[in-house]
Amino acid sequence: MSGLELQLRLLWRRNAGLWSLFTLLAALLVVYAWLHPGLLSIAGVARFTQTWFPVALVALAQTLIMLAGGIDLSIGAMVSLGCVLAATLVGETATAAGLGIAAVVAIGATIGATTGAIVALLRLPAIIVTLAGSFLIAGAALLVMPRPGGSMPDWLSDALAGDRPTALAMLILLLIAWRVLQATPLGHAINAAGDNPQGAFRSGVDVPLARIATYALSGALASFAGVYVAAQTGAGDPVIGMPLTLDSITAAVLGGVGFLGGQGTLRGAIAGSLLLVILINVMFFLGFPPVAQYVAKGLIIVAAMAVRLLRAG
Amino acid sequence: MTPPVLATREVGKRFYDNVVLRGVGIEIRPGRVHALLGENGAGKSTLINLLSGVLQPDAGAILVDGQERRGLTPAEARRLGIAVVQQELSLAPHLSVAENIALGAMPRRGGFIDYGQLAHGAGQLCARLGLDVPLDLPVERLPLGQRQLIEIAKALWRRPRVLILDEPTSSLSAHEVRTLFGLVRALRATGVAVLYISHRLNEVLELCDWVTVLKDGVVTADQSLEGSDPKALVRLMVGREAGDLFPPRGTGGEGKLALAAHGLVGESLRGLDLELRYGEVLGLGGLLGQGQEETLRALYGDLPLRGGEIRVDGRTRRAASPGRSADAGIAYVPADRKREALLLPLPIRYNLVLPALRRLATHGLRRRVREAITAASLIREFAIKANDPRDAAQLLSGGNQQKIAIARWLPLSPRVLLLNDPTRGVDVETKREIYARLRRMADDGAAVLLLSSDTLELVHLCDRVAVQRDGRIVAELDRGRLSEEAIVRASLGMAA
Amino acid sequence: MATALRTHSVGRVLLHRVTLTYLIVALLWVVAGVLKPGFASAGHLRYLLELAAVMGIVAAGQTLVIIAAGIDLSVASVITFSAMMLPLLSPAGDPSGLAGVAATLLLTTAVGTLNGLGIVLLRVHPLILTLATATILQGALILIAGGSAISVNNPAVVFLGNGKLLGWPMTIVTWLVLGSLVTALLHATVLGAWLFAIGTNDRASRLAGVAVGPALVAAYAISGFCAGLGGLLLLGMNRQGYVGIGEPYLLGSIAAVVLGGTSILGGRGSYLGTVAGAVLLVTITALITVVNASAGWRSILFGALILGLLLLSGRDRESR
Repeated sequence: MSGLELQLRLLWRRNAGLWSLFTLLAALLVVYAWLHPGLLSIAGVARFTQTWFPVALVALAQTLIMLAGGIDLSIGAMVSLGCVLAATLVGETATAAGLGIAAVVAIGATIGATTGAIVALLRLPAIIVTLAGSFLIAGAALLVMPRPGGSMPDWLSDALAGDRPTALAMLILLLIAWRVLQATPLGHAINAAGDNPQGAFRSGVDVPLARIATYALSGALASFAGVYVAAQTGAGDPVIGMPLTLDSITAAVLGGVGFLGGQGTLRGAIAGSLLLVILINVMFFLGFPPVAQYVAKGLIIVAAMAVRLLRAG
Repeated sequence: MTPPVLATREVGKRFYDNVVLRGVGIEIRPGRVHALLGENGAGKSTLINLLSGVLQPDAGAILVDGQERRGLTPAEARRLGIAVVQQELSLAPHLSVAENIALGAMPRRGGFIDYGQLAHGAGQLCARLGLDVPLDLPVERLPLGQRQLIEIAKALWRRPRVLILDEPTSSLSAHEVRTLFGLVRALRATGVAVLYISHRLNEVLELCDWVTVLKDGVVTADQSLEGSDPKALVRLMVGREAGDLFPPRGTGGEGKLALAAHGLVGESLRGLDLELRYGEVLGLGGLLGQGQEETLRALYGDLPLRGGEIRVDGRTRRAASPGRSADAGIAYVPADRKREALLLPLPIRYNLVLPALRRLATHGLRRRVREAITAASLIREFAIKANDPRDAAQLLSGGNQQKIAIARWLPLSPRVLLLNDPTRGVDVETKREIYARLRRMADDGAAVLLLSSDTLELVHLCDRVAVQRDGRIVAELDRGRLSEEAIVRASLGMAA
Repeated sequence: MATALRTHSVGRVLLHRVTLTYLIVALLWVVAGVLKPGFASAGHLRYLLELAAVMGIVAAGQTLVIIAAGIDLSVASVITFSAMMLPLLSPAGDPSGLAGVAATLLLTTAVGTLNGLGIVLLRVHPLILTLATATILQGALILIAGGSAISVNNPAVVFLGNGKLLGWPMTIVTWLVLGSLVTALLHATVLGAWLFAIGTNDRASRLAGVAVGPALVAAYAISGFCAGLGGLLLLGMNRQGYVGIGEPYLLGSIAAVVLGGTSILGGRGSYLGTVAGAVLLVTITALITVVNASAGWRSILFGALILGLLLLSGRDRESR
């Protein structure tokens, strides 16, 4: 077997479990397009991916951490913080905007790395550390901006969340970046760390480092989701990310990432988030009131866990 | 003769008051396959852990290439070319064959994984091990035997100078064993030093050049295997003094059937039959990991069964759970007292009454005085050395903790007592007390099932011993036929 | 000997933790009373205690759940749910209003029972399951009750929130009764003893014959009941209910429990500590209002508290 063949086969193998999810998605997309024919245009795709993009980002962020055997309950708060920081830091000119976005993402990565270090090095339960982290980060967001305000440059909002499918392009770019990461020892260590942490550690894999890296990456992704939300709404909002924590978990579970780590793919997470978004959109078109989505989301996660349990026998 | 690449000089190791190894010397030389033999608990695993840097010796020294290595760590041992294939698997189940083989030692080029080299190297190793599996297959889809081979491939990936194989053939087919032997011989020819731990004597005789036998943490033989006969080797492994540790056996008339298991199938159990009678101490022996613990857990209702039935007092048991069993007078003493029996941070008194809490209470309300009296009498009766019953249980020594694990069942006056290696890591005096207690309970009419890794106590304490191998009972030895040799032989699968 | 000394000092510190919390409360009252006249007046202190009553009642269920190494993130939604559902559940032909109270409490207890069943049967982590429950309730609430604020005229609820019994505010009387019951449950019943066992080591508890599943379901059911009762008290005190009325009690109940010395990792704690924690929390919140600190600082304070206490109890566990 040549190296290229091995690489391609591994790629194929990782997707093998996802065909049923992909099929379900395709079917739902058809239903959605039938209910809402406007979807089938560039602007339609652009608008649709805009509602999906933040959910996809947080699903990626959650999946990364779950792959290495953790969980993050501070993702929603991180989105809020990213959002208010963006509305404060991002300047009018292109350079200022670029610097501002970079600063926001760097802050997110740093906070994530700190969380990761607490979890991995002090060996404290991730679920409670990140719960505390969510209060701290949400508090910081409220300090930056006690009530919605600030502004984003119009041209940036237009570029990111206008009539062009920028979000879709960024999503594809992210997937490619993940593929590249997977081909590095760090990417491999992330998978091994969630799959059999003790075995990986004994084989010489730096498990704590892999864990910290996932939290840092996840922090960066979540804060960028905040930047995007700010661009979408044109302003900052200190509590806008709140519902995204549960969304990220739901999407990750739907995409097949186990709570015990190791299984699943980022593609699965993106598919899971897409499934979630379409379901809610379809519900909307079928005449359900908007709040019914809360009920649906809660039920979906419980059902997904039940199915998982049944499958495990 | 080539100088040893890895050796120990007079190493000793103790865990608390339990001496596991004493003055052990072993020399592992390049180009030689060295067998390490010994009964369960003879100290083999501890010696391997010392050689691979997992544990540090209390006395003596570890020598690599003739140089003393203080504070050897697993990482350092790996770097020095020492590779261990452990029994418990260290594979990442969802990763592919190739990724597992190179786990922790990925070939890289410019910061990326070098898939070309990975495919080439892993493919070559698989071919040498006779493994015909796609490199991209997740290892969880492989049968246990092939996973064991991947484990060996993983060790070989790092091109070790010393290869330590701990029971490598336990789950291999005959054909796979042949391939492995071929590989080990080829490695020997290239000058690799191999340490081979196995319970299968015929394999050892066929493959190995040299043997070291451990008994109770002491080397009893260190000799060439040329011309050895298996009976002589078994004799070197057994034969300890019983002394006055054990109580005299009762008259032990045939009691009524307490528990009967027929054709149990479940995790590690493959059609197990077992009968336990009132008034007897039945021993459950065999090599480690033949499903004995699962047998006990199944009887206690803690293991889901895929087949077979359990009868209690002649009636088939339907729904089973530990709570129901405890209510029905069946008690279980787990092996891992720190994780499965005691609630370490909670008071001694609390631990002593936990199983009987409901029995001591009235209408769900606790009766503190009754609990305190019960606990105090148990402390007295079992001579538990506690300063204050309100102290946390973790402050007690291992022996006293073990006494609690047994004593706490007494207020329920259990009719069936299932014990999982209750004297492991316990001092001699406590052992004596536990033996006397178990005998007294059997004399009072209880049925006692004692899983033990100590052949000595099986021979001298039990009325009958059932030997388990590969998820089944392969021999039942009644008192007339009980001897260490008979148990070891049955454990090894040799004709009695 | 040295080891024996250590446990006694551990016991002392534990005891201290609770007494310490009470001492801090007293100190805060004195200092605040000196600096800001009126803070330590009997009327204001009683008002603080009434506020603490709601927190303490909600945190009672949370204490049981956390001692069993779980957590209940649905309390805030259950409180809101209880307050908003009461008018719908009060039958027109019942002048006392007791039927509505009973029906509401039954409903919230059922929600708690479902939480427990999901955790035990589906083996979902309690954090996630109760978070899901919270989300479902939020949606269901608006669907059923329509999201607009309601005012209360149920006499039983008004009495609970504003009435007096022998000169004592009903809120505090209710708290006293419930608090005694929960303390008794924890320390004088088999169920309470089992919750400590489960929180310490659920596997060992199961092997010792403890009915782990039923005990956990009971703990979550009680938490549902307590949150429901808290919702009714809040409704009675405010005389109106709105969506989000329960929000402050999510962080609050957890913070009160851990402030009171109960280990967030389970197996250790007391309700007496939680009572102190609730009073301390309400006092701090009042002080924050006095000095005009923002919601942001409050959230940061809670986060830092939980993290700090986790670091403390985490260190405890490792030193064993």
